[in-house]
Amino acid sequence: MAIPGYHGRVLEIDLTTGQIKIEALASEDVLLYLGGRGLATKLFYDRIDPATDPLGPDNVIVIASSPLVGSQAPTAGRGHMVYKSPLTGYIGTSNSGGTWGHTFKATGYDALIIRGRASYPVFIDLSPEKIEILDASHLWGKNVPESTDILTAGSTPGNLYRALVIGPAGENLVKYAVVANDKNRVYGRGGPGAVFGSKNLKGIRVRGREKITIADEARYRSGVDQAIYLLKQAPITKRLMRELGTAGLILLINVINMLPHRNFLDVNHDEDKVERISGEAIARGYLEKAGSCYLCPIGCQRHTAVKTPDGQIHQGEGPEYETTVLMGPVCDIYDLDYIIQANYLANELGLDTVTFGGTVACAMELYEKGYLTPRQTDGLEIRFGRGDLLEKLVELTAYRQGIGSLLAEGSYRLAAACGHPELAMQVKKLEIPGYDPRASYAQALGYMTSPTGACHLRGGYAVSLAFFGGTKEIPRFSLLQSPIAIRNMQNTGILQDSLGVCRFTGFSFAIEPWARIVSGITGYDFSTAHLEEIANRIASLERLFNLKAGLNPEEEDVLPLRFSEIPIMSEGKPRAISRENMIQMRRDYYRARGWNDDGRPDDSYLKQMKIERKKA
Amino acid sequence: MAPYKWQTSEDIFRLFHSIGRASLLYDIQDSHSGNMARRWKNAQGEEMIVITATGSQKGDLEPNHLCYLSPGETDFGYYKASSETDIHVKILSLPGAQASMHAHVKELIMATLDDQPAPKTPPPFVPVDPLAFYHLGPEIPVDWFAVPSGSPEMAKTIPARLADHPLTIIYGHGAMTRGRTLKETFFNLCLANNAGYIVRLIERQIRSTRAKRQALKIPEKQENSLPPEAPLPVGQPPELEELRSKIKAAPDTYFHFRPAPYEPDIENRCDFPEEDEILKEFRKTGNRLFESRLSPFHTGSMSVRGVDYLLYAPQASMPYEVGGPLLKLPLVQAPGDDTELLLHKKIYAESDFQALIHAYVPEAEAHAHFIYPGEETPIEKIIPVDAEGSFMYLVIPVLPPKFEEDRLISLLHDYRVVVVRGGGVWAVGGLSLSEALHHPSSLREICLYRLAAVERGLDLRKMEPEKAKKW
Repeated sequence: MAIPGYHGRVLEIDLTTGQIKIEALASEDVLLYLGGRGLATKLFYDRIDPATDPLGPDNVIVIASSPLVGSQAPTAGRGHMVYKSPLTGYIGTSNSGGTWGHTFKATGYDALIIRGRASYPVFIDLSPEKIEILDASHLWGKNVPESTDILTAGSTPGNLYRALVIGPAGENLVKYAVVANDKNRVYGRGGPGAVFGSKNLKGIRVRGREKITIADEARYRSGVDQAIYLLKQAPITKRLMRELGTAGLILLINVINMLPHRNFLDVNHDEDKVERISGEAIARGYLEKAGSCYLCPIGCQRHTAVKTPDGQIHQGEGPEYETTVLMGPVCDIYDLDYIIQANYLANELGLDTVTFGGTVACAMELYEKGYLTPRQTDGLEIRFGRGDLLEKLVELTAYRQGIGSLLAEGSYRLAAACGHPELAMQVKKLEIPGYDPRASYAQALGYMTSPTGACHLRGGYAVSLAFFGGTKEIPRFSLLQSPIAIRNMQNTGILQDSLGVCRFTGFSFAIEPWARIVSGITGYDFSTAHLEEIANRIASLERLFNLKAGLNPEEEDVLPLRFSEIPIMSEGKPRAISRENMIQMRRDYYRARGWNDDGRPDDSYLKQMKIERKKA
Repeated sequence: MAPYKWQTSEDIFRLFHSIGRASLLYDIQDSHSGNMARRWKNAQGEEMIVITATGSQKGDLEPNHLCYLSPGETDFGYYKASSETDIHVKILSLPGAQASMHAHVKELIMATLDDQPAPKTPPPFVPVDPLAFYHLGPEIPVDWFAVPSGSPEMAKTIPARLADHPLTIIYGHGAMTRGRTLKETFFNLCLANNAGYIVRLIERQIRSTRAKRQALKIPEKQENSLPPEAPLPVGQPPELEELRSKIKAAPDTYFHFRPAPYEPDIENRCDFPEEDEILKEFRKTGNRLFESRLSPFHTGSMSVRGVDYLLYAPQASMPYEVGGPLLKLPLVQAPGDDTELLLHKKIYAESDFQALIHAYVPEAEAHAHFIYPGEETPIEKIIPVDAEGSFMYLVIPVLPPKFEEDRLISLLHDYRVVVVRGGGVWAVGGLSLSEALHHPSSLREICLYRLAAVERGLDLRKMEPEKAKKW
């Protein structure tokens, strides 16, 4: 008998042998790891050799759902994917909205484990009635929208096909290729698309109508009422996100001197130029309509259109904040036409726009300093401000052509190949998103300690609270408060990912309504204290994997030197983060996590957390 | 006649100015009422008494509103410096008294009014909240004076009262108090006003509930048995007197813990001056606690947790201009930790919370004694009946005065704010003090609306969302 909210079944597919196994979901895994990110991490950790080649057949992909998915809890339609990242060499953990996650749950499985490598391109066809590994040769080479359209053809109302696919970037093993659903919603960072590609896995099609049971309807319902109300109360979830999308943050982030510029050299922008790429500018000039993921009342999606140079109208989705900033001011580009067209193409070809933008910015600095030569770029002058090159570079990267083969490796490997790895703005080889860490110590520490590298979503979205948090606002420049604050923010993120809900709900509330909802659904008492413990367990298991995979905390839980050496001005003072401050905050963070001062969980802590150490 | 002495001292002026302003903000003065005095040594080492001039506006004191007297000479030019100068001088001659203050503590004045014919001997005021009970005593004297302002009769009686009590009540006029510092005298007066407010809220709650019981023809409890048609009693309702008797007989049963004695010696200590932003948060939050009446002056506590220490304000409610101590302490228990600090440490040890506030929200304190018509025991949860409150908190748990600390911690995890009957309000922030502050602030409003509903004879049970009853 499955715990309410779960189907109690885990599906495991070996693409090498074609073997398909259905196993019972262990209740203990549910109670200790909940679902989504937590459950996927546990299933992944139990099955993978941490030393495995991320692009080899032994890498394991785990997609897991949560007990809230399948309920009416707001935003609870998300899926979570865990894999070993080819970009970082450490855990890849990625979450996506859209509709695929919800439909996957409706197939009657809580998790899908994929290992091995098919000998030819395949896709998985999954429904309650059948599980098949089918030939995808006809899809190979096709972009994301084309593949999606082919796989979802034949949908009938009330019984829709949903497709999760990679584009050419994934097929070509670009280290930051994404896996996309609904054409534009992606499991984005750390290269899951390349892992799919390495397994000759073009996609996963799902269809189903299996429902979950709910143990305590009244308890569940009251939590849902509360969550929906709060989302409608907070201005940012009620209005700002719908009207302006995530790019609505651009002007506000600029006001607090946090908007990065020219590969994070500074945060100084011409105000007029920033206005040109703002959410307001997108709404005025490009927005056709807002859209939502499954069960989301926030509605941050941007369905836009742009006129191409040849006068055609090109429709697509985006840009989001990160895309706009990383392909924009980080590259010293303030032209939305260029950014949007490059964004559309990146979506179509299946590239992570954050890492792409960060890598191009790095290339621009390398080029301007003479470390990347015209010979290497086939004559392309990759200088700051060259918006006209963006689309071309997306294409070269996705197909690994010319300079694209170097760009496809991400900024760190690019900069290292040019002899200047210090010019890559990354942590653990993952590019820093669009919030300058010098303007928020908590955000800086989040980048340093995120299990996936510099990710605001896994590292703790501290910056959002610095400006939008209202009652949750935390000091931006506090060495003392940042370690606990970021630990708690990371834990909130872990729980959101494990519950299958959107990060933006955190603008309105933290965990209490979710605790009520998940307790109502499962009938188990998932108090917030219990959930905190689960989050700490998941964080430690992710850490354990990374350490086993070779993480050197001393060298890799740090920001690039630029952030220590070049101050920015914020709140009227020069702000940099000295190495000493980084070490202090990092040490306090480790302690707050219950780890040793060198960033390793010891045996007694693991025992307390009920984590079994992987045998060497 | 004494020489006309104008003197200035920046520190003294700043102190008087800030306390005067705070007293007006706390509404224990009218524009010109009250007076403050303290002992002071001038630059020549001469003992002096500094007192506010009669009729000066305490909320907007100017340097020339402070009069500097010698202890033996209370005239100031042609006039008394203050109409109550002689009383202050006598109070300041009491052992340990360095400061004295008189204020129009309106809530306490209202709570002690009676309609007995004058002259009269009013009974002492018995507080039902832990702050006033422990800091001011279980019985606060109340004296009726034929001339209740600056009279020789007062100059005789009040210092005598203050020899045995930190604060005494002048019937229909206010209170006078002594302290080791001017801040301590203000502290006493705020507690006194707060105690009067709580008693009045409880009294109104009892009267309205009794009326409701009568309207619904619900039989009364045996010990207070009155026929449903009996008129409402005049004066203090018996339930209030019963509560006071029980508290006096066994205060430890009715209060969570005895608050630590007021500490004047650490008034201005700050252990983390380099942490600009956190300091700002503490000061902002402390000021809000005070100005919004979420806890009387220098009561309650708040903290932000570091990895192995906590930043701690043991006198949380503090107006900007007055401030209070801000300490950096080890997170592990240490000898000398008082009950309140130990509880902060225990909560942190068993949670991931970033911030904690303990405040004595008077409306919550009073409402925690509420008994639904027809029921026998006080409420165990406060169910908001207003829109924002009911969505922010389906319910707010109310713990009895004695409870297992683990229970409090568990409830804080699930509800973020918990009322302790006879023990204040505990609230947590996952990320910040600001987050924690929102809880007592919202709670105050929630209680105000519920109290208003009770007073207006509305049926709270009908107003409470059905779904909340499961939580």
